[in-house]
Amino acid sequence: MPAKPEIKKVPRATFLGRAIAGNIGALTLGVKYFFDPNRITLLYPHEYIKLKQGYRGYIVLIFDKCISCESCARICPAKAMKMVSVNVKDKKLNKVMKKKYPVINYNRCIFCGLCVDVCPTEALYHVPYHDLVYLNMNDMILNLEQFQEQPEFVTSKEGVPVTYVFDEKRGLVKVRADESVKQEGQTGQASGGENK
Amino acid sequence: MDMVTAAKVFSDIGWGLFHYIIFYPPVYQFIIIPGLVAALVVVVFMIWFERKAAARVQMRYGPLEISPRTGGAPQLIADLIRYTVQELIIPSAADFFAFIVAPNAMLILSLLPMVAVPMTSISEYWPIPMGYSLLIAVALSTLAPIFTVVMAWASNNKFSVLGGVRESFIIVAYELIAVISLLSVVPLLHTFNLVDIVNYQMSGIWLGLLNPIALLDLFIAILMSTSGFPFEIPDSETELVAGPFTEYSGLIYGINMGGGYIRRWAFSVLMTLVFLGGWAPYRPGPGILLGYFVPSLIVVVKATIVMAIMSFLRAVYGRYRLDQALSLAWEVLIPLAFAAFGISVAEAFFGVHP
Repeated sequence: MPAKPEIKKVPRATFLGRAIAGNIGALTLGVKYFFDPNRITLLYPHEYIKLKQGYRGYIVLIFDKCISCESCARICPAKAMKMVSVNVKDKKLNKVMKKKYPVINYNRCIFCGLCVDVCPTEALYHVPYHDLVYLNMNDMILNLEQFQEQPEFVTSKEGVPVTYVFDEKRGLVKVRADESVKQEGQTGQASGGENK
Repeated sequence: MDMVTAAKVFSDIGWGLFHYIIFYPPVYQFIIIPGLVAALVVVVFMIWFERKAAARVQMRYGPLEISPRTGGAPQLIADLIRYTVQELIIPSAADFFAFIVAPNAMLILSLLPMVAVPMTSISEYWPIPMGYSLLIAVALSTLAPIFTVVMAWASNNKFSVLGGVRESFIIVAYELIAVISLLSVVPLLHTFNLVDIVNYQMSGIWLGLLNPIALLDLFIAILMSTSGFPFEIPDSETELVAGPFTEYSGLIYGINMGGGYIRRWAFSVLMTLVFLGGWAPYRPGPGILLGYFVPSLIVVVKATIVMAIMSFLRAVYGRYRLDQALSLAWEVLIPLAFAAFGISVAEAFFGVHP
């Protein structure tokens, strides 16, 4: 048997009461927002959401840490990562050797982050942004030199970093990223004090 | 006898042109204030205000990108230019003559009540004799909606016809409320003369305070019958593509879109004069500046505020279904309008009026 839905009893049960109270409530809310607007639209090129460390953005290789184990190329579900052979001079043996290094094709990459997770020496890492533009598809296939340098974060040059925080009175609020860090620090200190 | 020179002839013609055509009160009121020019300026401002106010309430920004410092104000000029230079497409199945003439007729007829309203208490600047001006203005204000139905029929499109039928339903219900509410001041003051009505309100007692139900009724009736944004039942985008304006494009669509606002403007001026005191705190002085321009500006500002409140309601209310709107009209608002009429009669009987 389906559960009986409980109808919430409103004290203003008459038609006239409902009409008047509803209209006045809606109008007051509208006037409140008209004089104290809470705008949450992201004006994208002028503002951007500052993403936290650990966001799975573009991937960068640290050349010296790589041990050529091929784990990243094997685990890649989209087959975006491939190994290339490069002539490297080994310092200990003091002779030129062939070694394999990963390169990435961003046409195929799905930013799952499995390669970063699986890397035994942490030679790969994510940068916390993803809004880049390539002029053509060939540019999205990186070679070894391009894979080692962080892509340029163009949005941060002109844009203001913002984050969305949840305010108890006003709901979701858009604030500048540096202010939100301050607020979080204050609340963290306060809660820490309570815990003691 | 003076020498007749070309310069004198031209100056005489110019003087005559200004005195008898442009500053001749009926023409002046129709063309400049509170007619076409003032209406266009107010409408452009009001569309911008409506978009910004709705955006503020709905947590958005509204028009902003084109000039962030002024809040995107040039956006409206850009839209106007876009409508002006857009290609005008006339469907081959449409009735050409009615298709072209009806929007223009609607625009002109919705401004006609402006010829019958006074902007000052000095009889030199009245456009018409003021004896029955309220009745004339109310009668003229009901002409325009017919042409919306004509437009719908001339477009030869099923969405247009549905929109036209809705328009006729809404107009029949809500024009009646507007007319009864406006005329409910007549038994109170025993006059149809708008100047007398405004002069009575000089004492500080606006008729909106004496008869608030009539004011509320008129307000709702204006909102509904001019099919402004919260209650655009005839041209509801989600159901009918654009209602009676489906086949229109370019400049004529711009006229249609502004037409509703201009009707709303005409009703706002009437409402200001009848219920909100007209030029009330100010007594027209001598001369054309103090006697005509200043009181007309006061009326324009009051009517603009009324329109701004109506535009603000867009952000708060949702759109009614047709049957809801009609049941609201016939079951609630028309009895209320008669009640307002009765209140006026009772106030007259118990001697509230002077």
